[in-house]
Amino acid sequence: MNTINRDTVVAVFLLLMCGVFYGASFQIEQTSYGTIGADVWPRLILGVLFVLSAVYLFQSVRKGPGKTVTHEAGFLSRYRNAILCYGLFLAFLLTLEFLGMLLGGIAFVFLALSVLGERTPWQLAVHAMVAVVSVGAMWAIFTFALRVILPEGEILSIW
Amino acid sequence: MLIENVIGAFGEVVQIKILLLMALGVLSGLIAGAIPGFTITMAVVLTLPFTFGLSTVEGLSTMIGVFVGGLSGGLMSGILTGIPGTPSSVATTFDGFPMARKGRPGLALGIGVWSSFLGGILSAILLMTLAPQLARIGLEFGPWDYFSLVLFALTITASLAGENLVKGLIAGALGLLVASIGEDDINGVARFNFGTDTLKQGFAFLPVLVGLFAFSQLMNDVQDNTTARKPLMEKGAKAVRVEHLAALRAIAGNWINLIRSSLIGVFTGILPAAGGSISNILAYDQAKKASKRPQDFGTGCAEGIVASEAANNATAGGALITMMALGIPGDIVTAVMLGALLIHDVVPSPSFIGDQPVLAYSIFLAFFLANFLMLGTQAIALRAFLMVTRIPMYMLAGVILAYCAIGVFALHNVTFDIWTLFWFGMLGYVMRQLGFPLAPMILGVVLGGIAEVNLSRALAISDDLGLFITRPWSLFFLIIAIFSMVFPWYQKHRGRKIWTLGFLPALCLSLAPPLFMMGGIPRPIVAGMLLAIGAWLLVSRHRQGWKLELPEEHEVHLEET
Repeated sequence: MNTINRDTVVAVFLLLMCGVFYGASFQIEQTSYGTIGADVWPRLILGVLFVLSAVYLFQSVRKGPGKTVTHEAGFLSRYRNAILCYGLFLAFLLTLEFLGMLLGGIAFVFLALSVLGERTPWQLAVHAMVAVVSVGAMWAIFTFALRVILPEGEILSIW
Repeated sequence: MLIENVIGAFGEVVQIKILLLMALGVLSGLIAGAIPGFTITMAVVLTLPFTFGLSTVEGLSTMIGVFVGGLSGGLMSGILTGIPGTPSSVATTFDGFPMARKGRPGLALGIGVWSSFLGGILSAILLMTLAPQLARIGLEFGPWDYFSLVLFALTITASLAGENLVKGLIAGALGLLVASIGEDDINGVARFNFGTDTLKQGFAFLPVLVGLFAFSQLMNDVQDNTTARKPLMEKGAKAVRVEHLAALRAIAGNWINLIRSSLIGVFTGILPAAGGSISNILAYDQAKKASKRPQDFGTGCAEGIVASEAANNATAGGALITMMALGIPGDIVTAVMLGALLIHDVVPSPSFIGDQPVLAYSIFLAFFLANFLMLGTQAIALRAFLMVTRIPMYMLAGVILAYCAIGVFALHNVTFDIWTLFWFGMLGYVMRQLGFPLAPMILGVVLGGIAEVNLSRALAISDDLGLFITRPWSLFFLIIAIFSMVFPWYQKHRGRKIWTLGFLPALCLSLAPPLFMMGGIPRPIVAGMLLAIGAWLLVSRHRQGWKLELPEEHEVHLEET
């Protein structure tokens, strides 16, 4: 049974975050120049954020657990696509140095489409084609037209 | 002076390359605007990386093209399928779709396109004439006034963002906090880098923006498997021939409505943070009130389409006025535009138009020309839109995610920017799920630096905090900031609680003193008028015995345009 409101959890998280950042604000270097120290403005924001988070907490507690949004049972199925996409993007980032933008990008698009769409042989072929053509075209535009040096990766650099 | 600047800008903008780029931008904007789930902000954000390699005028003209195209694109899907492409075209659907269902889709499209064009042209003219005047007023602003203006921009965004003002304000404060991470502009000291070198430079604006808006929006769009796998529009739209002449005749009979709606659009755009999603509803509402046949609204009448489309395109000009003259974004799209200007080393401020008139007028002229290009490319866009709607959302999402990664990398050629995109993509998605509006956060990120610099300047001149309330402009902005914070409650309880009857009179009476304090002749006259209006409202409400009447209007909320 849910005894706590989702907003309450978020408000508590925000308050804790304010505390962490407030603590980190003491690590900001103090200078002998400048009219206001570099720590003043962030502390001002944190003060405002703290007050707002406290109001948010108060509102959520007053709302009570009755208003709790219960998605727990279907949490994974509800957020499956988003979690998988973020996971794939993370894998793309972690392998970027090795695969490079072109191969990594193609792999990412192909996998993302195959995870999100249907996985029949025909659809997989379409996904592969879309991945190669779209990432290849973007890579070509940025490399040759806009002269951006995109990460080459270890595989392509061998060739 | 105006003519000289326009001629100078003409030479800059009217070049084959720029016109082609603008046409491409307009076309992309039209298609993106027509696709439900794709916002204009997203289209402009995704265009930004392509402009890195272009000159300032080329890049900004392209983005203005996307902006104008996006505002007009929403009407296509709204009229043909009943689903507005963007929140700016919500009111267009009220009459555009019924008219299309009655067998006149060509006429509905024609009225929409021509109203968009005329609204845009009118606002372009106002942009060219009003922006320099507003910039002149802006030159009176001291750092106290600027700081209060930023506060006002943040509070009004938060208050218009939906029911929960606190969530909006928290999002704004989070944006300010994000902007404060990294080296500060005043002392050059690293903040909140938690011992890492990568965070010393802080987060680049573009990856934060793309992550918060585009990445999280795409994840939202593919959240449901069934929806993600369907074509973008199940209600298949059919190609139609736009009835230009009939549309022009219909608009000619509605010219007062067109001008009124355009002015509503411009005024809404000038207000910091209020965009096309609000102006189209406001203009529709006013058109209905002023109409001789209000009962026809919602059944497919031309007046409704004219009001909505003229207003939403005119909003763009209004938003550009504030951005160009004061350096404060008029809405979320112009917040992105401001980021683009900063990337191209252009910093809009009250002195910008005077210091760089050719560049400023090039932007104005690009906006003017983009409206013509919108008119010319609408037919091509309509065909392209019909093709794009057959693609399932998940395919677009996968490809755009890869494009986002390449685009943000191109900004500084560092992988850290793609990591920023990833983290802020997640943050944006979580915030959306928790019901936090993203617009105040974006404005916080954009305006954080401006607010801090001005606060520092103000305190460098004098440590007297009282100046924030004794300087007329600062007081003026603080007063409207307070009223904008109360606005959500006013909107919620209007017609139900007695105190709401005092909201407007109190606003008028409160704004009069700072205007009197400004001196001169016109401002005290305006102050006197405000006093008179406030007093008249109070007296008339007292005479009516403070009787409550439930409003019939549509509730106004800021949505991502």
